[in-house]
Amino acid sequence: MHRKIEELEKRWYRYKLKMLMIPLGSSIVTAFIGSGGYYLYDRHYIHNIPKTAVLSATKEFKEDAKKESIKVAKIEPKKIKKKSNDILLEPIIPVIDLEKEEAIRYPRRVSSKRKEFYKHLVKAKRNDYLTARELASMSRVESATSSKPHVMKRIKLQSTSNNYIETMKEKFAHSHSFRDALLLAKAFYKKASYKEAEEWALKANKINSKLEDSWLIFAKSKAKMGKKQEAINILAKYYAKSRSLKAKDTIEEIRRGKI
Amino acid sequence: MRSKFEEVKKIFIDSINKDNYVELDSATYNYNLLETSLLKPLKMILLYGRPGTGKSMLLNKLYHNLKEHREIHYFEAPILSEKAFLKEIYESMSGKSVPENMRVNFDGLLKYAQSLRGKREVVFLLDECQLYSEALMEKIRLLSDTRVVKFVITLHKTEDEDIVAKEHFKTRIWEVIVMKNVTEDDLHLYLQKKLIKKGFLEISNMIRKKDIRYIHYMTNGNFRETNKYLYTIFGIYEYYEKNNPKKISTKKLSKKILEMAAIELGYINA
Repeated sequence: MHRKIEELEKRWYRYKLKMLMIPLGSSIVTAFIGSGGYYLYDRHYIHNIPKTAVLSATKEFKEDAKKESIKVAKIEPKKIKKKSNDILLEPIIPVIDLEKEEAIRYPRRVSSKRKEFYKHLVKAKRNDYLTARELASMSRVESATSSKPHVMKRIKLQSTSNNYIETMKEKFAHSHSFRDALLLAKAFYKKASYKEAEEWALKANKINSKLEDSWLIFAKSKAKMGKKQEAINILAKYYAKSRSLKAKDTIEEIRRGKI
Repeated sequence: MRSKFEEVKKIFIDSINKDNYVELDSATYNYNLLETSLLKPLKMILLYGRPGTGKSMLLNKLYHNLKEHREIHYFEAPILSEKAFLKEIYESMSGKSVPENMRVNFDGLLKYAQSLRGKREVVFLLDECQLYSEALMEKIRLLSDTRVVKFVITLHKTEDEDIVAKEHFKTRIWEVIVMKNVTEDDLHLYLQKKLIKKGFLEISNMIRKKDIRYIHYMTNGNFRETNKYLYTIFGIYEYYEKNNPKKISTKKLSKKILEMAAIELGYINA
């Protein structure tokens, strides 16, 4: 009995092993047959594709490629547009720079004379102050003194570009800043448009009555228009209030006939 | 000390004994059908089915239930000799012994049976009738025609015997009761009743539904095969109980032992 059971146990272990191996082996064989079958089918299929099918497939492919190329061509402008959008995202370019931008956009069309013209243009910035370099570009003479940008009273506006004046006018319309008004007054004074200079000096003065330059431009414009006494009276009033040496000097100049 | 599993094993020794009869729905149905058929004026009743479907057990049960109330005789083993068969029939009917040097004449037996018409009705239960010769079967038919002798015969259902059953008895059989293998549920009930009847409730509880499913799968619900299988299973249990008790659990049937028994009986080709 003992041997019989031992033998039976051995047979049982063999049976369990067999039961384990059968599904494993059958799955391997199935996978092998499956992959082999697929390989043969694949080969057979590739080697037995009718020529007409190949031709039609090629034709379809070409048509598809053509469509795709059309699509690409359609997409390209969009990409460019996107690129322009990127440019728009950059900080707002001042008005003068817009003209420069024009120059960048059409660089070949700009003549050397035109380039020279651009050099003399005053660059406008978003802030209310002009940098020393910007002011220096207005005048070659004054460029020597541009190392002291804070001395605005010494600056004589060289550029009388209409474009500049219009731009500044637009800027003033938005800002109502006494500085813009004063810059316009100076520009008109430089341009010998004394009436406008007088008006803009008055505007600047109305906004800020302590603004010395507005008094000076106003008085000098009056003097230039032949109203010397009136100019002296105005400056005298200002001198009595501010004790400004500049005002005193200007009175002296008017009296001597230098202005 | 005797092994518990040794006792359990013995329950499944295949034997035709009324005490081993287990009341199952299918068996009860067939028994009632058989008993009702005996009340009808039928000449022959055939119990027909594959070996191990419970034909002999049913016949045995019928004999023990009716022997006190009716004139009934049970031929458990087939009597292959015509001489011995006729002698046995005569002795059973007449209650007289036939001397050793004498033989029963079939014509005389037939006349004797005819003389009893309307007076008596004798039932003979013949098991394993597929072993009887065709000539003897013909004599059985003639005896049943007297309406005095009624035969209940059992036949194995095999391919060859199927032809015998169909061709030979086609015109003679009045009632056919087909015996089939049992279902899983009936098999479960059979094993439970068998074990509980002998006081092995604990062993009965060890057999789970999935074990029944496996046993049924192996034996196809055949009583004889089931008994043989369970006998082998508990034989292995008996061995482990005596030699290596750690290897067995008394809470559930071991799948390993079920498979080992199946290998032993050739149900599994290992």
